Parts: sequence; C-alpha cells; structure tokens
Amino acid sequence: MAESTEEVAVLVQRVVKDINNAFKRNPHIDEIGLIPCPEARYNRSPIVLVENKLGVESWCVKFLLPYVHNKLLLYRQRKQRLNKDELIDVTCTLLLLNPDFTTAWNVRRWVLQQLIQENSLPTFVKKENLATFPTERVQRIVQEEVEVCGEAAGRYPSNYNAWSHRIWVLQHLAKLDIKILLDELSSTKHWASMHVSDHSGFHYRQFLLKSLISQTVTDSAILEQSPLVSEHISDLPKDDNEEDTSAEHHRVVDLSHLLEEEVELSTDLIDNYPGHETLWCHRRHVFYLQHHLNNKLPHSQMRLSPVDSNGGTLNDLNLSPAVTHMTQAMDVDGLNDSNKQGYSQETKRLKRTPAQDSLGIEMEHRFIEQILSTCRNVEQARFANAYRKWLVTLSQ
Amino acid sequence: MKLYSLSVLYKGNSKAILLKAAYDVSSFSFFQRSSVQEFMTFTSQLIVERSEKGSRASVKEQEYLCHVYVRNDNLAGVVIADNEYPSRVAFTLLEKVLDEFSKQVDKIDWPVGSPATIHYAALDSYLSRYQNPREADPMTKVQAELDETKIILHNTMESLLERGEKLDDLVSKSEVLGTQSKAFYKTARKQNSCCDIM
Repeated sequence: MAESTEEVAVLVQRVVKDINNAFKRNPHIDEIGLIPCPEARYNRSPIVLVENKLGVESWCVKFLLPYVHNKLLLYRQRKQRLNKDELIDVTCTLLLLNPDFTTAWNVRRWVLQQLIQENSLPTFVKKENLATFPTERVQRIVQEEVEVCGEAAGRYPSNYNAWSHRIWVLQHLAKLDIKILLDELSSTKHWASMHVSDHSGFHYRQFLLKSLISQTVTDSAILEQSPLVSEHISDLPKDDNEEDTSAEHHRVVDLSHLLEEEVELSTDLIDNYPGHETLWCHRRHVFYLQHHLNNKLPHSQMRLSPVDSNGGTLNDLNLSPAVTHMTQAMDVDGLNDSNKQGYSQETKRLKRTPAQDSLGIEMEHRFIEQILSTCRNVEQARFANAYRKWLVTLSQ
Repeated sequence: MKLYSLSVLYKGNSKAILLKAAYDVSSFSFFQRSSVQEFMTFTSQLIVERSEKGSRASVKEQEYLCHVYVRNDNLAGVVIADNEYPSRVAFTLLEKVLDEFSKQVDKIDWPVGSPATIHYAALDSYLSRYQNPREADPMTKVQAELDETKIILHNTMESLLERGEKLDDLVSKSEVLGTQSKAFYKTARKQNSCCDIM
C-alpha cells in the first residue's frame, strides 16, 4: 500500500499526538515497547496503553522514525522551527523508538549543560584554599544521570553510548570529585561482576581508577603547598547543604589498596567465569596501573599506552615518577580525556626497579599457571596464554 | 548474566512433552513477553526431541545458550541462559532439579503429564535463586562427576535438525506458537536481529 507524503505526514502527526496524549493520560508510564504487528488494522491507532506500559505497533515505525528523525535534524540545522512542545514530542518519540540513538544522548548532554549554566546557584563550593567540591544539587543531578546510564546499560550489552555518557557526567558535572569516583567504583562492582563480558562496563572502572590516580595526585599537590591545611580541615563549619565535610573529599585515597582490590576482583571473576576476554583485558589494564604506582624510578619519563581491548577507547597515560616522600604521589602530566583517544599501537618500554616489578610479574605468572593447569575451557587457555605473552613483552 | 527459563520434559518416542516450566522474561519488553515465552517452550521441546538419551549439550543461538540434559530414563531438563552464565552451574542446576523431580513425581505420570497435572512447585524458586550463580551454588568448582568434555556443543539450532529440515517450517507447523509469535519470528528472521525495528 503506497502512502503519499501527505498521508504519511497526517498519519505520523496523529501517532505522535497519540503518544503524547498517552503520557498525559497516564503519567506513570514506566515502559515503552514495540508490538510485533506487520499490518495496520483499519483506522485503529498503533498506540496501545496497558497498565503502565505503552506499546507501539511495529507497522507504523517505518513511517514514524524517519519522519521524527528528519524533523529533529532540520531543527538542529535551523532549517525548521519547532516550539517547545513540538520539540518535546519529537525527541520523546525518537528516544522511545531508539534509545541507543547517539544524537539523543547528545541532546541530553546539551540540556544538562544548559541546566547548569542557566541557574545562577553555585555548582561548586570552594573552601579557603582547598579544592572545590560539588553542591548537593549537582550531586543529585549526577545521581539521576548515573541511574539513567545504569538503566540503559542493562538494556543492551556493551552499551557504549550509555557508558560514555556516564564518563561525561563524571568529568563535566562532577568534575572528577574523589568521593563520587569512589562511590561509583563501589556501586558498579556488583554490576560488572554480573556482566562479565560487558567491555564498556569494565572500561568505566578503568576510567574511575585512572581518574582517582590523577585526582589524588592533584589534591596531594595542593595539600603539600599548604602546611596548615590539616588544621583547617577539622575547623570547617558544617554547612546545611553539604552532606559531607570537605575532609571526606580530601581523604587520603589508598590507591594501592584500591588497585589490589581490583586485581582480587579480576582473579575472582576469571576463576568463576572462564572464557571471557573482557576480564583478561581488564586485568591487563589494572596490572598496568599497579605497575606504575609501584614504580619509583626518578629520571625517566615514560610514555605508555595500555594494550588494545575490543573496540573500547583507550587512555594514554602520561606519567613521570614521584619526587616526594609520599609513597603514592606521582606527578601526572595530564590525564587525557578518554573520549578523545584514538587507538595507539605503541609498544610499552619499561625501565624498572628489579625488586617490585619482578614480584608483581612473578605473581601474575603463577596466577596464569594455576589457570592453565586447572581450566577446561579452550578459550580460557587461549586468553591465559595471550596474557602471558603480553607480560613477557612488558619486561623486555 | 541471566537465566530465562528452566523446564522439565519427558522425551517420548516421537515428541518431547513439557511437564513443568518456570520463566523469567522480565528483561524483555512487556509486549514481547508472551511471544518470548512461547519460543522458549518451543525451543526446549525441539532440543529435547533432537538430543540423545543419556546426553548433555549446549546449543548456541544468537546471544542465548540452551543447556540440555536428557537422562537415561528419558527425563530431561533445559535451561535457557545468556552467554555469560557459566555452563557448569547450569548443568549443576539441571542435575539437581531432575533428581528432585524424579523423587517427587511418580514415573508413571511422566509420559502423560502436563504443567497443569504435574505437582512440582520448586522450579520458580530455583530459577530465581540461580540468577546469581555464586549465591546459589558456592561450590561450583567442585564438579567431580561432571565431565565437561562429554558436553556436546552446537553452534546453532540448525545443527540439531535433520538434513533438509528447516527451522522456519518447524516454527510455522508448531502448535506451541501463537499467530503473533509466528509473525514476530518471521520479521525477526528477515532482519536477523531482534533489536532491529525497521
């Protein structure tokens, strides 16, 4: 049945209105889904409302999606005007039909930025000469966004868009606040353990650890400059709007303990869920970070890039060694934005102190041996061997 | 990692008879749940029909893994899981369930049973508990009896079929699948993906 453009436009406008009316009638709609239905029934709306579930019959999608997509593009290109209601209808419809639509995530980020900018309330609080940390309002927004990302991540394996958005939120809204980073690390642990082949989820944990390293160093550099800072921390008055004292935001992060815990997590998952490459890639990243934390060579500037993992974005880590008495301090030249990274094929050249390095590497080799001697999964053996080869290249 | 269904069946001479089943279709879109459930029943029966007595197999189909255990007494169990769920735990679960079932339900009822007539209520709680493989079975490593090398691996459903048999035909002839499910199958098949809506 060929539809003329006018018929299509009329049909689509009716459907978009039906969707909007459904939301108005039932503000508690918590799910939207596609109803497999190849043909339209005469003069019946493709929009179905059952309990709190909104259904869209599949036959109308091939008309609906291109139409609203096109409308949104024209609006963005400023070739067509849409009032606020129309914009809401269009983006709503689009997001319902295709939650993984990249432009929709971009629009969301744009809206968040507007939200932060247009409101004159401060988003970050400065306390004397200490670093800033986020207000309760920002924390709430961050929490909401993180929940949206979590929902989206569960719908779709390795949902790159959802996890990238989560990273963006931590970087631009939360400004890599240490407490938020730590909370995210602990709250995503269970999820990652139950999604052992979700590469994006594990990449997020790598991002958190790297950010903690860079942020800890920044804070400790500030703390160092201010010899009386520790007194100031305990004197700070508690503000009603703040849920934590600034001391919490400046606690010493035990980086090596965090990395050890991550290695334990990796070991536990690899043991219990054999044959998932994501877990082995994650181990490489974590071992790599640990390796650098333990490394205390004074002179060489090292430029290193982690080994490739399946299609995830990579972070280049520019590290130069520590010069202070603090065991975990390192000058971090700059932690590059993970979103801007391209895939680098540099091999790693390390200079190391014999003692710490060989102990770590030795333990890894023992771990590999244990896996190879007990595993009955072909893939697991393959990954273990590849990991062993990678370790060997590290020490060359 | 997820479990979607757990079923107990009887492998008859020509057909597999569903005795009892539990499903978790909560992760599927509301309007697709009934079709998905029908498909899981269809798949479970088909797999049991095409598996030998006294065998264990894992059948891969897209992002799902169907684990089947057919005992020598023709009692069979099928677990449909995703590809993250450890298969070792799935087979432990099957062993446990079939053992318990055979003690609670009389053998004489198996060849003529149906979910309505069979009295065995534990499947739902097993399915729910085993969603987290570690909570359910902390001793998953201790599997002395299970020889994993004997588990047959099938990379597609097609490899279970006889020569010349087509899955499409089996679907259209099936009594287990309703009209909407069959329509759903047709569209999904054409696009080769269940997420694709165009």
